[in-house]
Amino acid sequence: MINEKIKRVLNNNRCTLLGVGPMSKNCVDAAIEVSNYYECPIFLIASRRQIDSAEYGGGYVENWKTNDFANYVIKKDKKGMIILSRDHGGPWQNENEKENNLSLKLAMDSSKRSFECDIMSGFQKIHIDPSVDIHGKISVENVLDRICELYEFCWEKSKNLGTEIIFEIGTEEQSGSTNSQEELDYTLEKLNAFCSNNKITPPTFVVIQGGTKVMETRNVGTFGLPIRVKNEIPPEIQLPKMLEICDQHHIFMKAHNTDYLSNEALSWYPKLGIHAANIAPEFGVAETIGILDLLKSIERTDLIDTFLEISLNSKKWDKWMLNDTVATDEDKAIIAGHYIFSTEDFKTLKKDAMKTCNSKNINMDNFLKKCVKESIIRYIKCFRLDTLK
Amino acid sequence: MLSVGHIKMKKKIATLILNRNLPIVTENLYEQILKYDGNNTDIFVIESGSDDALKCKYSYWHADWDEARSHGLRYFQGMNYGLANLYKSKKLDDYSAFFLLANDIVFEKKPFMQDLLDVLDEHPKVGILSPCSEDWGEKFFLKKDNVKYFWTVNPGAYLIKKELIYDICDKKNPSEKNFLFDGSNFRGYGVDIEMISKSYANEWAVAITSKIMMNENDSFLLEQSDLIKTEPYDEHIKLYIEEGLEWMKTKFGFNSHWSMQVYVKSFYDEFFKMNPNLLNYKI
Repeated sequence: MINEKIKRVLNNNRCTLLGVGPMSKNCVDAAIEVSNYYECPIFLIASRRQIDSAEYGGGYVENWKTNDFANYVIKKDKKGMIILSRDHGGPWQNENEKENNLSLKLAMDSSKRSFECDIMSGFQKIHIDPSVDIHGKISVENVLDRICELYEFCWEKSKNLGTEIIFEIGTEEQSGSTNSQEELDYTLEKLNAFCSNNKITPPTFVVIQGGTKVMETRNVGTFGLPIRVKNEIPPEIQLPKMLEICDQHHIFMKAHNTDYLSNEALSWYPKLGIHAANIAPEFGVAETIGILDLLKSIERTDLIDTFLEISLNSKKWDKWMLNDTVATDEDKAIIAGHYIFSTEDFKTLKKDAMKTCNSKNINMDNFLKKCVKESIIRYIKCFRLDTLK
Repeated sequence: MLSVGHIKMKKKIATLILNRNLPIVTENLYEQILKYDGNNTDIFVIESGSDDALKCKYSYWHADWDEARSHGLRYFQGMNYGLANLYKSKKLDDYSAFFLLANDIVFEKKPFMQDLLDVLDEHPKVGILSPCSEDWGEKFFLKKDNVKYFWTVNPGAYLIKKELIYDICDKKNPSEKNFLFDGSNFRGYGVDIEMISKSYANEWAVAITSKIMMNENDSFLLEQSDLIKTEPYDEHIKLYIEEGLEWMKTKFGFNSHWSMQVYVKSFYDEFFKMNPNLLNYKI
């Protein structure tokens, strides 16, 4: 049913479906409310670092375990518009598997247990991404073998449970450039043959790197940059060609790292026929900026300083910085803000802020949710999802 | 004219090279082409408002009016100027094709013009042909076949057939502003796409060949912008994009470079519907 639903929406409407990273509880609530209001499906795309099963101690978002997160969403999603999705599932996609230096066999087994928990919790879309290997570089053939093994495992599990899941495949390196057409064609051909031989429904989405890359709070990929990058096929050639290949293999194209593009650039996603796109850190940053604005408006600059300090010290901003960064400490703290929402330090700070908010008749979470909703609605409109109702 | 015994043979290509204050660079390119391909081409150097002391010793025309001296002509205005001069002096008909070269283009030191002419002969529907640059991602399409037709080709070394020029040029008032390219877009962002759209609209394909590879030496723009009397690189790119987007909006009502891309690709796709025998060359 989920597969048919997605196909019906995409075949009958020129739109781009939205994947929202569950950056926080407020972000999850915002996504649910927006999808229910516009009656458009939204994928809540949880990475293993954000939300994982109890075996791994959950993730950094609300300290939720997979089933807590799923139960929360299913209960709140009155119109059933949210598609619970695993983003980048696979071996070594959880920090524990890296820190414990797991072997291939153990990492594959571990990721299978994580997938099993997803499926049992009610996830409907599984992105299999075995592109990470902490023991060395892996060939396309090895990636394919691992995809097939995990695909078959998930398929069997869902069949045994009597549930339906859809699949997203594809590796994504946040390169900001493009992946090769030959590689895409080869991967899809092999995977379709595997599915056909095993009487398994083929994948619904494939991740295509179409010239987007998020650094700091900007998209520095080639999609929004109308000039050439050396040794890269320009996106104006690459994207139509990749879409042609997707059409030939009857699979939908999904873009990742679409954050921070301009409205003009985003409006080209549905026009170009890009079927779905993921956005994550932008929503976390929207909430962080909301927190800072709110603390300023209630004249709690002492809490602003504390928040910035906790966030900066987390060093979670590090992986997002440009080599030639000119970012200030405040900029860095804003980039890392959402990673600390579940820490005890932040919870204490928030309690304090809420007291002041309550005395001024401000509902802090409603305010923050509104900030994230505005950010999500920008995508809903640019992707033409506001016309589905 | 090439002399074979006592018979003067017409050369098929006119090569136009644009110089702005880099005489040695331009002279080296001129001399290399003359040495290896002098039998296939005449060479015309256009001074794009160069200072008198920095003119190339082979210069043929000099855009020496105040505006040109202050800002140069840039690729499209410069080539319009050269082609319009050839047209006005009735020399356009002397050649089959026109090789429009920026002086920062670098070729291997060996003959290549005959290879270009051979490609044009083998592909009678190709109106614009460009060698492939070592730096272009398009080279990935040219592994199995050495010629493919594209809907976007970076300018710098366009070889344009005379028939295509006659199909679209402005004969009424030929000048650097309008003869072949739209010179009103000074720095030219998007003018190449418009030109390619016009080519396909007139049933001429635009191809890249890997039979001849080239390099674009952007160090001149990066390191010698003061000598060329142009803006520093970053400023140039900013103005190039801003002016180009404004031109697209004013001329076509397009608010994005993506509109221009969809526009040109629609002509490209239509070309192959009309010429299904050429589908092998579609990327």
